[in-house]
Amino acid sequence: MSEEWQREKMVPFWKIWANPIVRRYARSRLRPVSLGGVLLVFVLIAAFIFFSIRQGAMGQGQLELMDAARLPIVPLLVLQGLILFMLGTGQVAGAMTAEADEGVLEYQRLAPMTPLTKVVGYLFGLPIREWVIFAATMPFSIFSMWQGKVPLGVFLEIYSVFIVAGVLYHLTGLLAGTVMKNRRWAFLGSMGLVFMLYTVLPQVAKFGLVYFKYFTILPVVEESFAYFVPRSGQMVIQTMQELVPTARFFGLNFPQVVFTLISQGILILAMSTMLWRRWRRNESHLLGKVGAVGLFAWVQLVILGNALPLIETGQLFPSREFGRRFGRFAGVDPANWQPEAWEIFMMIGIFGVVTLAMIWMMSFLIIPNEEGQVRGWRRVRKKGGSRLSILSDPATATPWVFLMVAIGSVGWFTFAKAIVGSRWFPEFQLSSMALLAIVMVLFTGGILVQTILETKGRKFTILAIILGGVLPLMLGMIAALTKDELLPAGVWLIGISPMSWAMYASQVVVPIDDMPADVIRGIPLAFWFWQGVAVLLSLWMLNLLRRTRKEIAEKTK
Amino acid sequence: MSAGAIEIKDLRVDYGDFVAVNDISLSVPYGEVFGLVGPNGAGKTSTFRVLATLMEPTYGEVSLAGIDILENTERAREVIGYMPDLAPVPSDLKLWEFLDFHADTHRLGNRKERRARVDECLDIVNLTEKENAWCKALSRGQTQRLVLAKTLMHRPSVMILDEPASGLDPLSRREMRHALQKLAKGGATVLVSSHILTELAEMCSSLCVMNEGNLLASGTAEEVRAKLGKKERSLRATFLAENEAVLRWLRTDSRISEIRADGPDVTFHFVGNDEEQVGFLRTLASGGFGLKAFEEEGSSFEDILVQVAEENRKS
Ligand SMILES: Nc1ncnc2c1ncn2[C@@H]1O[C@H](COP(=O)(O)OP(=O)(O)OP(=O)(O)O)[C@@H](O)[C@H]1O
Ligand SMILES: [Mg+2]
Repeated sequence: MSEEWQREKMVPFWKIWANPIVRRYARSRLRPVSLGGVLLVFVLIAAFIFFSIRQGAMGQGQLELMDAARLPIVPLLVLQGLILFMLGTGQVAGAMTAEADEGVLEYQRLAPMTPLTKVVGYLFGLPIREWVIFAATMPFSIFSMWQGKVPLGVFLEIYSVFIVAGVLYHLTGLLAGTVMKNRRWAFLGSMGLVFMLYTVLPQVAKFGLVYFKYFTILPVVEESFAYFVPRSGQMVIQTMQELVPTARFFGLNFPQVVFTLISQGILILAMSTMLWRRWRRNESHLLGKVGAVGLFAWVQLVILGNALPLIETGQLFPSREFGRRFGRFAGVDPANWQPEAWEIFMMIGIFGVVTLAMIWMMSFLIIPNEEGQVRGWRRVRKKGGSRLSILSDPATATPWVFLMVAIGSVGWFTFAKAIVGSRWFPEFQLSSMALLAIVMVLFTGGILVQTILETKGRKFTILAIILGGVLPLMLGMIAALTKDELLPAGVWLIGISPMSWAMYASQVVVPIDDMPADVIRGIPLAFWFWQGVAVLLSLWMLNLLRRTRKEIAEKTK
Repeated sequence: MSAGAIEIKDLRVDYGDFVAVNDISLSVPYGEVFGLVGPNGAGKTSTFRVLATLMEPTYGEVSLAGIDILENTERAREVIGYMPDLAPVPSDLKLWEFLDFHADTHRLGNRKERRARVDECLDIVNLTEKENAWCKALSRGQTQRLVLAKTLMHRPSVMILDEPASGLDPLSRREMRHALQKLAKGGATVLVSSHILTELAEMCSSLCVMNEGNLLASGTAEEVRAKLGKKERSLRATFLAENEAVLRWLRTDSRISEIRADGPDVTFHFVGNDEEQVGFLRTLASGGFGLKAFEEEGSSFEDILVQVAEENRKS
């Protein structure tokens, strides 16, 4: 044997500065010449924001130093967000696909480091330039906060959440870059995701879906907003803050920072797990069976925990925000606001749609393909076994989908019950068929997609979704919009699509009456009819899946 | 199960229904340069990727230098040096930085110690004067040599080189051969693949022919030839002048076939072992036919592979 080499200890994952992958990118991405130019540009922009706003406020605006100094804080935060969140995330995703593309990723697979150390290395190594540029703009922020007499605690809160959010987005980029093949798409896609998080989701948050805001830094910034404006503006701010719906998890009173950090932390954990699995074994599913169901259950719990407290206060209902904004013009008095019946239909329906979509997403992660099954079986047979472990990747996803259907049904039913049981709707109640309808929709919707995925593969499933899901939806809508006589036909057509099932179920769960008569009559009929068909189809598909899997198992004997 | 440096037992690789490596077992002792040769698609790269811990086999056991690579993957990676067939290099690093990065992942000491090792490896592959060039600015053969340097970096005790000689000029090939043989003398075990048997025959102490996922024969170059080459030998005799008598005499011998005469040269196939050939030759020389020269054209290494590949096409 060759001489035994005296090697140093393995670098633990938390020693970011000693991580060889981080050091490698520090070398290639922080070359003085190219870094210098970019750094200069961004420092100049930051300096311009800082001086122009501050001097302007003191000079033309005649504000005192303390007030003027606070004004650049938020614009600087926006700039820093652009650098670290947008550029950084795009960079991570693009560079990761590039590594795989060039083929050098394999060398890193071969490196004797733990999978976690490798994930951490890429997570902090790829965006290292953006971290440095971010750090270079920090003096302006620190100086502004110091002169604006912003408490140290507020500063720490904002920037700890800022940094954790940065890591979260970079992790998203890393995952996108690992899963996607195309460099440009990974780059644009992950930047688009971050962009959406800050532009579209806050709007959605105003209409009840508050939870997603906790993936941003906004709740924490909003909470401390009083410190980022001159004292004269604080009255406005404080009233504004009271209007912002906040998510109190099951009514528990966490500070915003804590809740934000918990929310983001769980997501960071989930995504790190996915990457860790891929680095450990290239062929692994992103999540194991238990992990996927666990994540599903957690998301259900969180959505429920956020939504339930908002029902009694009314903040869950879209019309409340709408009324507050435009009520004056419509002659509605916000003080006497009442949610409307169609909002029961909407909110219960949307909850179901989200739940079903989550089941689909998780199925997508955990279904085995044929190749995986063949390998799995051969491996088992070689060891003299005769069955696949139900936890293993090649095992069928069916029992796990059943489990998610059960969990989702409980969540959805609880939500529906809370809405009709609230003080707003004394005249409505759950139908006796409510639980049946809920279980059926999740069962047929979940099982159909999973069994098709597992027997026919992803490409076929996408085709099936377009033909069986999107097309009837579009045709039905066109029919319904064309003229009143076609409305019943439209209702039946739309009912074919699994994407509409949760909405239809909503009308069955809590029948409401402020919709056109044709629709009210049509929906339950179409719903039960198509559900009947779907149940038969599901059973047939389950049988087909069983046979297909058996064939594969036989083939490997 | 650890006797040799490389121990493979019942290794199988499937791509869907396609069997790329079909239950092969192989044992390579320490200090050997072992060649794996086979036509395109034989399963060489698939086998190597499993050995290099880049791919999980369907099943099978592999231990390298006594370490079970499936159980103890990270430990195994410290002793493995793998060179992929189309050696990629990063576009944003210089030669020495690329090597230094790998020295770092293998924890080869502080900056100065790593640098010394980098220089050593650059010297082995004759790229010292290029150390500050960008990796992407190298020619194909130079790139190949750079990746070889990277593979040597951490003094692996088992080296797995997938067609390392492709793209190298004859001088570089010879240098590589010497470098590998030197490493093997130092105790390392080297596994190389190639399509070119002669190349391997020169370099390897023993080799193995692979085809359609199966190992056909293994041993020294001569043993492999004896096993896979045609049993009949092609012999060629040159006489002083054109000689009808000898042709007539040859035709009476049942061990001889396909006689062809070209002026004073006569070629024919002879079936029989070495002993019989000696006897035959003695008679021929003493028979007064005017024998001037005699040579044996055994099946060449190229012939063996062509033959294997042709059989694949037919089936
Ligand atoms: N990722 C893959 N998916 C499906 N089939 C594959 C894959 N990789 C290799 N194969 C098949 O496996 C067989 C063996 O391939 P492999 O690359 O191991 O051959 P090789 O001996 O290295 O050939 P070459 O001399 O051309 O490099 C080939 O028939 C190939 O088509
Ligand atoms: Mg190959």
